[in-house]
Amino acid sequence: MWFRSKHTIFWTLAFPILLMLLFGAIFSVSQNPSFNLHVQNRDLANGEPTQLSKSLYDTMNGTGILNLQLVDSEENTTQYIEENGIQRMLIIPQGFHNSCLTNNASIILKLVPPEVDTASATVKRVVEQMVEIFNIAVTEQNPLKAVTIEDQSIISESYSFIDFFVPGLIGMTLMTSGIFGAIGWNTRNRELGILKKLATTPLSKLEWIIGVVLYEFVMGAISTVIILGIGVLVFNLKVMPNIYSLILIISGAVAFPGIGMVIAHFVKESDSADAAGNAITFPMMFLSGTFFPLEFMPDFLQQIAKFLPLTYLSNGLRDSMVYGNVQSALFNTAVMLGVAAFFIALGALITNWREE
Amino acid sequence: MVNAVMVRGAAIEVGSLVKKYGNLAAVDGISFTVNRGEVFAFVGPNGAGKTTTVEILVCLRRSTDGEAKVLGFDISDKRGQLQIRKRVGVLPQDFNTFDLLTVRENLSYYRKMYDKGTDIGRLIALVGLKDKANVLYKNLSGGLKKRLAIAIALVNDPEVVFLDEPTTGLDPKARRDMWDLIEGLKEQGKTVFLTTHYMDEAEILADTVAIINSGKIIAMGTPSELISKHGGKTTLIVEEGGSSVHELLSKILPEVRLENDGDVLAVLKKKSDLPEAILALSKKKEEFAELIVRRPTMEDVFLNLTGRKIVEGELH
Repeated sequence: MWFRSKHTIFWTLAFPILLMLLFGAIFSVSQNPSFNLHVQNRDLANGEPTQLSKSLYDTMNGTGILNLQLVDSEENTTQYIEENGIQRMLIIPQGFHNSCLTNNASIILKLVPPEVDTASATVKRVVEQMVEIFNIAVTEQNPLKAVTIEDQSIISESYSFIDFFVPGLIGMTLMTSGIFGAIGWNTRNRELGILKKLATTPLSKLEWIIGVVLYEFVMGAISTVIILGIGVLVFNLKVMPNIYSLILIISGAVAFPGIGMVIAHFVKESDSADAAGNAITFPMMFLSGTFFPLEFMPDFLQQIAKFLPLTYLSNGLRDSMVYGNVQSALFNTAVMLGVAAFFIALGALITNWREE
Repeated sequence: MVNAVMVRGAAIEVGSLVKKYGNLAAVDGISFTVNRGEVFAFVGPNGAGKTTTVEILVCLRRSTDGEAKVLGFDISDKRGQLQIRKRVGVLPQDFNTFDLLTVRENLSYYRKMYDKGTDIGRLIALVGLKDKANVLYKNLSGGLKKRLAIAIALVNDPEVVFLDEPTTGLDPKARRDMWDLIEGLKEQGKTVFLTTHYMDEAEILADTVAIINSGKIIAMGTPSELISKHGGKTTLIVEEGGSSVHELLSKILPEVRLENDGDVLAVLKKKSDLPEAILALSKKKEEFAELIVRRPTMEDVFLNLTGRKIVEGELH
């Protein structure tokens, strides 16, 4: 029976194929992953980096793992980090060269706490090793430590793992409930003949789609409240959505059911509704940076991630809820609203109530 | 009673309508007119093209060729389609509505789609669902579900009501209730387009019957016209009359037949045939179980036109 339904075959096969290709690609990375690290060198002499500060920079640059981005020495780092949503920054303070010679230099490494971010943890280890190599070179096998690292958290609050996890979880929930909900509701009502009856009334396709999207929006809002509630009550959650992340949550809760309504057009039987939902949501879940930081993935997957709506929702939510980055929230909200409008319009265009 | 809204002219006009699926013509060039205020029955076996025709008329399907107007609006015109949808009520063959809404909630859901319409309380009373108004749709019996379906089809106070096989699958009691409802619609001045494979239903309810077979209308007219034209003659049945009755009646009437079970069947061709036959039987004091005069029905019409019978919707 199963093999007689082309749609079911397609969606059932699509899921394992996509999943296998996806994880194969994630875990068979042949090149080393590289991580962005912003560096501000304040130790300048006549506008040029001092000899030892340049030497430290070159040592860091030689690893191939760190992708160094030089920041102007005049920038206020706190402001710069906030405005650009920077997660890792190394600061070489003024007088570094001279302090090195007296074995009491220090550099400042500003990070998202490594306990909650694997990428930060990796960067921290690499920086530590490079500093050790640098120390040996500078002091010529002198066991004294010329340079020490001063760790600073990039966020002022003392957040724990749950605080970093919750924004991604909200994004993921909005995606799955929106997409599965819209596909399921639409295919079920088509099979029952309810869509046919509705097509004999003056109700328009756009009205129907907006109705389903609003319904799923309410469901998504309820899920979000539950996640936050349990987070606060059970896990001592500290992050809370501000007005910007609320707008973002709303845009996400509208965009994903919109996507679901478009997919529903290609799902003819309720048998294949779940398979279709899985085939769409699973790759997005893993490629959006919710579970694995994008930096661990090969370049082409990072490129694909740029086309996935969940990437923007998750990034925007994390940036606004955890880092208080307003600009990122606004940008990602704009992307999500664009996605919502596009898919709702597309859904209204391709949905076919009348049969040939 | 003349309804002020009613305008002269046909409710539905169909000309040479064709619907093809590949090479197969599901509807093969049919033409008919449904007058305002009449019950028009489309009768035929399953697969004859009844549902396809309804779905084309309510703008659910596109026709391949030909033309059709409902209440004066062209079905192929986008704006006409919206006007049609506002003014007609449809009971689709495979009707379903939201399981977890009650009778009343389902009705108000559909009521909201129209600018004007009927009061929901009155509709519930009309279809006899007063006691069930707050029962979930999923908990209704098949007959009650169909009644709600009718109520939903009436929610916009439509001028034309399309009922696609409203009694299929119902038990005899529910069927009769449905007939009463349909007769009520006619009394309200509504035009009813009804499809059915029950010949008796068409005969009882319809002002005009069109018999459709393999996508073609093979006969059309009032039930009595069709019966007198295609139904054959009235028959006198003398139950268990035996060979002596057969012999006796054969002398008076031109067409007399003796069945295997002893029944004698005599076709009555003239008005005087029946009294003469009865007179002869009583004079000779013939023995028999019962005298029955059987008038032809729509079933005979279909049998005579196609050489086949419809049993539960299928041709036999």
